[in-house]
Amino acid sequence: MCQSSRPLTSAPSVIGQSAPRADALTKVTGEERYATDYYPENHLWAGIKRAAYPHARITSIDISQAKGMVGVVAVLTSKDVQGSNRLGIFEKDQPILADGIVRHYGEAVALVTAETKEILKQALAAIVVEYEPLAAVFDPQAAMSKESVILHPGRADGNVLLSDEISCGRGVEALADCEFTAEVSIEVNWQDHAFLETEAGVAWLEADGTIAMIASTQTPFRDRLELAEALKIPPTKFRVMAPYLGGAFGGKDGITVQGFLALAALHAGGRAVKMWYEREEHFLAGTKRHPAIMKYKLGCDQQGMLQALDCSILMDTGAYSAMGGEVLELAMEHAGGPYCIPNTRIKGAVVYTNNPIASAFRGFGVPQVAAGIEQAVDELAKTAGFDLLQFRLKNAVRRGSVTPTGVLLTQTVGLSECLKKVADHRLWRERELWQNSAPAFKRRGVGLAACYHAVGFGPVIPDYANAKLELAADGHIRVFAGVSDMGQGNAATYMQIVGHILFQGYDNMEIVLPDTACTLPSCSSSASRTTFTYGNAITGAADILKERILARALLLFSFQLLEQLNVQDLVLLPGRIVHQPSGREVPLQLIAGFMDESERIATYSYTCPVNKQVLPTGKKLRHHGYPHRVFSYAVQLVRLQVDTLTGEIEVCDLLNCIEAGSVLNPQVFEQQIQGGAAQGIGYALFEDFALKEGKIRTNDFSTYILPTAMDIPNMETVVVPLAEDDGPYGMKGAGEISIDGILSAIANGVAAIIGTRITQGTLTGEKILLALRQAGKEAVR
Amino acid sequence: MEVLFPRTLEELKELFVTYPDGRIIAGGTDLLVQLRKHGNKPSALFSVEHLEQLQHVEEKETEIFIGAGVTHQQLWELPIIKNYFPVLHDAVAVLGSPPIRHSGTLGGNLCTASPAGDTLPPLYVLGAKIAISGKTGKRCVPIAEFIQGPGCTMLEQGEFVTGIQIPLPAPQAFSAYYKVGKRKALAIAIASLAVMLEVNPDETVKNIKLAWGSVGPTVMVLPEVEAFLKGKVLSDEILSQAGKMASLGVKPIDDIRASAEYRQCLTANLLLRICRD
Ligand SMILES: Cc1cc2nc3c(=O)[nH]c(=O)nc-3n(C[C@H](O)[C@H](O)[C@H](O)COP(=O)(O)OP(=O)(O)OC[C@H]3O[C@@H](n4cnc5c(N)ncnc54)[C@H](O)[C@@H]3O)c2cc1C
Repeated sequence: MCQSSRPLTSAPSVIGQSAPRADALTKVTGEERYATDYYPENHLWAGIKRAAYPHARITSIDISQAKGMVGVVAVLTSKDVQGSNRLGIFEKDQPILADGIVRHYGEAVALVTAETKEILKQALAAIVVEYEPLAAVFDPQAAMSKESVILHPGRADGNVLLSDEISCGRGVEALADCEFTAEVSIEVNWQDHAFLETEAGVAWLEADGTIAMIASTQTPFRDRLELAEALKIPPTKFRVMAPYLGGAFGGKDGITVQGFLALAALHAGGRAVKMWYEREEHFLAGTKRHPAIMKYKLGCDQQGMLQALDCSILMDTGAYSAMGGEVLELAMEHAGGPYCIPNTRIKGAVVYTNNPIASAFRGFGVPQVAAGIEQAVDELAKTAGFDLLQFRLKNAVRRGSVTPTGVLLTQTVGLSECLKKVADHRLWRERELWQNSAPAFKRRGVGLAACYHAVGFGPVIPDYANAKLELAADGHIRVFAGVSDMGQGNAATYMQIVGHILFQGYDNMEIVLPDTACTLPSCSSSASRTTFTYGNAITGAADILKERILARALLLFSFQLLEQLNVQDLVLLPGRIVHQPSGREVPLQLIAGFMDESERIATYSYTCPVNKQVLPTGKKLRHHGYPHRVFSYAVQLVRLQVDTLTGEIEVCDLLNCIEAGSVLNPQVFEQQIQGGAAQGIGYALFEDFALKEGKIRTNDFSTYILPTAMDIPNMETVVVPLAEDDGPYGMKGAGEISIDGILSAIANGVAAIIGTRITQGTLTGEKILLALRQAGKEAVR
Repeated sequence: MEVLFPRTLEELKELFVTYPDGRIIAGGTDLLVQLRKHGNKPSALFSVEHLEQLQHVEEKETEIFIGAGVTHQQLWELPIIKNYFPVLHDAVAVLGSPPIRHSGTLGGNLCTASPAGDTLPPLYVLGAKIAISGKTGKRCVPIAEFIQGPGCTMLEQGEFVTGIQIPLPAPQAFSAYYKVGKRKALAIAIASLAVMLEVNPDETVKNIKLAWGSVGPTVMVLPEVEAFLKGKVLSDEILSQAGKMASLGVKPIDDIRASAEYRQCLTANLLLRICRD
């Protein structure tokens, strides 16, 4: 499935230059086709009958009436699944269609295909499922108790999916020697990905038995493997195509509709099937960010050097594991923040409950723990009488430091530089002026957070990419992207890299989006590793292709000039090659004609180096990514204004100071940083996700409140561009770092304004007014 | 479901006879949401788009007539609304978002009769009257009578609103609308307050009208609070006292957006904005 983007510019790409993304024009004009935009001829609609209980045994499913309806093609249950019927990465615990037990509201029970959406709806309503309700558990703490109902019997640890402890130095003992200590207990809420394009795709059975699908997925290559096991079909019998995604943020990291689509296609007599969740179904069935309950105790000495940390993190992964173990790992690895703390104990657990399923979400556990450590740091600095920024600077990790989880930082570390830039910035220097300039019935404050974010998968799971590049017969360059572009702009950046190396503009290039039939196996679009890893691979492929092009051109020029030539005399230019001494040129197309297909296509395989450290604790976390090698850094500052009459809060200014290596395209980089920060504002202040006994109360956009453009301040992004050896052109991942510190910066600013901390959930106006009241500051002029 | 476009009020009346369960669609920003949610579709929708009488704003000597089909955006752009009816101008400025304001109408907001409808508290304090037309003829009723409960008006089958009459306020009057929602745009009010105030030369209150949105089954008017403030010089102190009375007088509920207690606090606190402004 080849797709091309109409370029906005034909200027040759240059690394480091701001340029509009290659996909900008076709997206803005609506030409670009997302998975939802595919309506194959004569297609059927597929839909799901969903569970009406949070935990129940299915006693019967009566599909007879639905099956008999005119226009209904198939009604399928778990009986129709040939394979293991289990999805998952580490823990394969989630059925495609429930077989016996449902463990959360809205779990898939039956699948229907029909001629029209209306018939589909009627058929789904006509399926009669009988249940025997089971005791259910919604509180992660209760889920850990011996008395709790067990969601997945037979597991050694009951409802505990994963738990472990990391300790360094003297551990908690060292707290007793600290001159100053501070404690905070923080509970952070769920968050929904709320992407524009809900889960969607189309699929059909090809004549040779291949199940082809076009799906909105971050993981086309892994999907094949997951589907193969669950459905007992060889992985090579799947073809997964991933056009540009209309947002994903981790919510499409793995199977969403792909299992249903494959199953439906197998029973559709060769016709295509289409699925597209409505917004309410997305809320019901989609994964969320893990909520967390955290306890922090942090201590420093007289000089303000951090000495000891004791913390615990409890996460709720809902009914199925999904990425629960990996999210816990990343949370624990980052739990102590980007500081040198020699003595630590970090306890963590992630548990099953009958709540919705939590999984990957931009930040992947880090925004949660940043909310814990950064609020503890603020409290401790205040208690010990240090300036909030200088205190962080004093304790900041540097290259060669060891993190609170024992990780030796061998790669670039730009935290101190970020802190210094913020210290010199007007928004920080003028903080007192800001605080003292509040209008009537308003209070103003500034909040700060520092954070870091690991790049890639860690030491065990190979973080690889296989790039492919073609000099097409007509002389233009075809860039094959093996990794999905979920909106972050990585596909355009691959073109930029290739263009830079081959001296071409977008107009002479074409991108081929992920398609397991013609792009090469590469890992997911996730973990701040997408451009990092694929960028390395595509650089390798471009170098090879360049060498071949020049070598072949050399032969031509030699024939024309009848002399020994040197490849150094040749220069690639847009669409052509020049022999500089003679000024002679040949078009790329001609060179392409002198190469056979095997030469015109260059491939390059790249696997990221890993951290080889062997750490004494946290052994169970190793598989899930501990320890990492490369980290990006950020310091984020917010200026806030709170209304003492209503509790309403406004983020008036936001500063992102980011060290994520060199910046390849400043415009795309800034878009990523701003997008992450805006999502962080939503997480902190607006997206007050509400559950009642496992049922989502905020299940549409009139109750699940996303910030609007009016709620997002103008942002400033300041870059500290250190060059990272591991990254292509010195870059590091920048997709997640900017969401990490926003909740904590805002929470710190709110605490500065009110004088007390709001420790539970989303910081809504209602909670702020209550806190103001308790602090005697309500309605104060 | 048919969508029909009558050109005259007579045609519209006839349509109500042909399709007794037919519904009027103005901007559709409430109606289409309801139809999707509840599913039972009427046999026909009657668009008011081509009904001249419903689309115009008429400025008379002592009052203004706003056609029911006038959009919030049109109102917001009209100098007379900005100059004479700041309370209504404030309300349409914070209603929904640009696309909603361009399609949503004053008549639609009124007939939806939500206690959170942003134009309703302003229409209460402005003393608006609703012009109704139907098979039995015409009538004109005060807004407080027109609205009968949450989502419930006095319109009978076959009746519709042609427009809203509002007397011009006293030239020196101050008016404003304060809204608390969960975000700055596209926010359903958690609580709101419309104020219409006239003061005597000695700064005492000559006349005050207050109406709260989203803190009861319909817009809440509290005559005892107005009476308490009449004759007094407004201060934070006095308004706090009035706020205490008001918070006892309203009848808020807990819902997904806010608790009843929070709404009670807002009922009181929003009054303090009068002094600020
Ligand atoms: C995203 C979104 C955000 C919103 N935000 C706000 C907000 O902030 N504040 C707010 O107050 N509202 C808000 N609304 C609700 C809605 O936009 C307003 O109530 C709007 O004024 C409705 O007007 P309309 O013309 O679209 O009404 P319609 O949907 O066309 O009609 C609404 C009802 O009134 C009836 N009706 C319409 N005209 C007449 C008439 N002339 N005679 C008799 N009956 C009639 C219809 O039959 C229907 O029952 C929002 C809606 C959406 C979808």
